[in-house]
Amino acid sequence: MTEKRSLGDRIGNWFFGIPAVAQIWAKLLARDSQAQGDSIPFARLAKPLDQCRAALLTTGGIHLPEQPPFDMENPEGDASYREIPGDVALDQLVITHKYYNHKDADADPNIILPLDHFRDLASRGVIGQVAPRHFSFMGHIEGAQLPILVEQTAPEVAAKLRADGVDFAFLTPA
Amino acid sequence: MGLIARAIEAVGIPTVTISIAKDLTLAVGVPRAIFVKWPLGHPLGEPHNPAQQRTMIFLALRLLQEAQEPGILQEPGFRWRREEYAEPDWSQLRSGPGAHP
Repeated sequence: MTEKRSLGDRIGNWFFGIPAVAQIWAKLLARDSQAQGDSIPFARLAKPLDQCRAALLTTGGIHLPEQPPFDMENPEGDASYREIPGDVALDQLVITHKYYNHKDADADPNIILPLDHFRDLASRGVIGQVAPRHFSFMGHIEGAQLPILVEQTAPEVAAKLRADGVDFAFLTPA
Repeated sequence: MGLIARAIEAVGIPTVTISIAKDLTLAVGVPRAIFVKWPLGHPLGEPHNPAQQRTMIFLALRLLQEAQEPGILQEPGFRWRREEYAEPDWSQLRSGPGAHP
């Protein structure tokens, strides 16, 4: 663990670990979230699944130990991202994220970044292949960090996915 | 997560998102989502439960193939720690209508 969790953080982690509480939190955030307009962007798979290259994205705050950890001091979050190399072993990764209890994700990172499963699906021919890199954010972005995510870091990652010839992305929050 | 999905979809790459925060996902407007009422930090379920994790992946890939319009949120209704999971039948993703869009 690379971040320090205070007693308050621990109580918060426990409280928000209750499924019903997570839904109340979602309702409150939804009320405060900016309307994104009524049109949702939509693209279709361009080829059969067994020919598709898949990339994984998560807001679980997972990264390589040598990469800088996400900023836990800024109450508005951290809109930056870390590139996860496609050939990484999951047990090499660490998680910096004090807003959820990642004890279970530390024990089995596949619950937030299912790389082992996607590698297996590629070897079985269910999907074509796994992308050469994946992307990790930390989520809980608000205030001044929000436009950085929307205008800068998220479009930057989208462009990298295109450059990698990715056919679809699988996204997991935390 | 939803804002990132939208940015990716906007450059023409389809996305499928696991949601553990339904109202937020609906408010942001995500192209395709599978919602489960599970604790934060567990979008694919419990650690070392591969059948559960792979069931979530299977549902997501099926939605990716089948969705004909944006904004679909599917709810499999799985209860937390009170379900039995089996290895999905992946061949379902390779045959049948919609498998090859």
